Amino acid sequence: MTHTAVKAPDGLRPPGRALVRRGTLSVLLHRRSALVAAALTLVLAVAVVAAICVGERTLSPVEVLKVAFGHPSPDRLTIELLRLPRAAVGVVVGFAFGVAGALIQTVGRNPLASPDVIGVSQGAAALTVGLLVFGAISSPFAIPLVSVTGGMLTAAFVYVVAWRRGLHAQRFVLIGIGISIALGSLTHLFLIGADIFQALHAKVWLTGSLKGRGWDEVKPVLVVLLAAVPCLLWASRAQRGLSLDDSTAVALGNRLDRQRLGLAALGVVLASVATGAAGSVNFVALVAPQVAARLTRDAHIPLLSAGLAGAVIVVVADIVARVALAPIQLPVGVITAMIGAPYLMWLLIRARAERPS
Amino acid sequence: MTSPQPPALERAARPVSRAGARRAGWLIGGAALLLLAVLLSLAVGSRAISPLTVVDTLLHGGHSDDAVVVRTLRMPRTVVGLAVGAALGLAGTVMQGVTRNPLADPGILGVSQGAAMAVVVAISVFGVSSLEQYVWFAFAGAVLAVVIVYAIAGRGRSGVSPVKLALAGAAFSALMASVTSAVLTTNAATLDQFRFWQVGALGGRSLEMAAQMLPFLAAGALLVFGVARGMDALALGEDTAHGLGQRVALIRVLGALGATLLTAVAVSAAGPVAFAGLAAPHLARLLVGAGHRWVLCLSALLGSSLVLVADVMGRVIFPPEEVPAGAMTALIGVPALILLVRSRRVVAG
Repeated sequence: MTHTAVKAPDGLRPPGRALVRRGTLSVLLHRRSALVAAALTLVLAVAVVAAICVGERTLSPVEVLKVAFGHPSPDRLTIELLRLPRAAVGVVVGFAFGVAGALIQTVGRNPLASPDVIGVSQGAAALTVGLLVFGAISSPFAIPLVSVTGGMLTAAFVYVVAWRRGLHAQRFVLIGIGISIALGSLTHLFLIGADIFQALHAKVWLTGSLKGRGWDEVKPVLVVLLAAVPCLLWASRAQRGLSLDDSTAVALGNRLDRQRLGLAALGVVLASVATGAAGSVNFVALVAPQVAARLTRDAHIPLLSAGLAGAVIVVVADIVARVALAPIQLPVGVITAMIGAPYLMWLLIRARAERPS
Repeated sequence: MTSPQPPALERAARPVSRAGARRAGWLIGGAALLLLAVLLSLAVGSRAISPLTVVDTLLHGGHSDDAVVVRTLRMPRTVVGLAVGAALGLAGTVMQGVTRNPLADPGILGVSQGAAMAVVVAISVFGVSSLEQYVWFAFAGAVLAVVIVYAIAGRGRSGVSPVKLALAGAAFSALMASVTSAVLTTNAATLDQFRFWQVGALGGRSLEMAAQMLPFLAAGALLVFGVARGMDALALGEDTAHGLGQRVALIRVLGALGATLLTAVAVSAAGPVAFAGLAAPHLARLLVGAGHRWVLCLSALLGSSLVLVADVMGRVIFPPEEVPAGAMTALIGVPALILLVRSRRVVAG
């Protein structure tokens, strides 16, 4: 569809899309997606400002904006040292989870195939905790690497175990659920086997909380996200092919297997590195892409909007986690699970009701 | 099937009795395994005690250090583990029989987490502190879980599939776990009481607790053995069961009630112990065939053995720390789950 549209004269372009041309470069823009992305960016900006304002001491948004534009302010230290880094972690982690979910759901063609359902997040957590408590990780910069390794290994393991004369989506999901439970136990086992200080350190890391996270956690995720930008441009093209049915996609010249593998690998890396930065923040990767897809009403899940939606969800959930039972801070993962789990149930209910026969 | 009608007796006497003997043999084997597990559970720990001393203590009492350790520490924990394993084995069998779904298990369906959430809330809000009080809350939480998960998974015409059931269970578990952890984060005292309970631990239990479990366990067992014949008929299909004169709805409700009660009592005593209710019934069915009364007996024995062995392994793996039995059963149970899912029966296509 899109291929013919690019070659077609302006009058024949598909509905809802705008053609942007500059010299030899031409891009088809889904108008609604662009609008939604802009709106989500705006919402995210508001959410970040709110996240910076809310806390033990409530700051006025005016002060926040002053600091943002480099004016002197009495609250400068609070904002720059405490609130901003925490909000930044929320943004990058949410973005990474959102994009990861979008990629994996595209490959699985199933809203349920998200990284936390198939065990990627739990695998990243288990390996990281295992190495943390046995003192094998000395610098905070090693954590993302270890997490990615854990996530990839788990994904590969689930894939291999679920393979039997082809890959069956249901078998994949069931085995993923089982492996997740076992990995949860394994993580617990590591925590018990460790000495108390290492265990405390690992436990804090594990809870899926943004408390005490800062630039050290932002950097690796940001680096991976930036490095992934070229891949993501490719991915959003590849996605278009995968959203067609197999034979059409192949006929249009897509190398399906290679594209699927690429998209899934990218998704697993993003989900793992996000887990490495913030622990298990459950269900964001499940919910964000679905929200984005519903907002844009596009045929495939929009990556940018999914990422932005993920960032909004995590930042807002963190505000709720701090405010709900103040002065006690809940882990942000608790809030996202409270939003995400009912949503998953709703998906299950609707999937049945919608099926025609 | 196993106690044939009088007219059929003469014709089928020989094969039935042979099959009966084989089943009885497996039951005796299961009992022997359980005996071994009990002995291990009494003998192994941070202080190794020889099996002879254990037997001597059990028979003659005594006041040596070893005897005191066996009587006051290991004995209660073993009895509670035994009861928990039996309850989960029975509950798993019934859940699989009633839903006709090979993946049904208190852990996978979210029933254990529902019960656990209710107990945690009960402790932090109502300040309850004894098992007899936990059980009621756990039962309420478990019933809630069964109703919600089954309602979600069962919507629509195509009925309940293993995947829908597992996913609904996983989603519900996640929700309950997040509520639990929210409550625990806000309430340090409850957290302390529940750090180990949360993952299914058996340490620090008393014989009194085991005694408190008994009435609930008996009631649950009565219910599930009561519907055993009905489940045999149900295994042939809902319509066939109707045709055989079984009241399908009643069997389902009573069976579910029994399974929930058993899960609730197991969770109240030891916290959510994963996968024990999944592996035991399948192994039992493999050994003694499809007759539910035999399967129930054997899977109770195997469930107890599994939980006790898991508890013993948890004691020796990182001494002097103890790994909760629930964490060990999850690791032992996953291969069983994988084998099941890979078999043709679960995912037909």
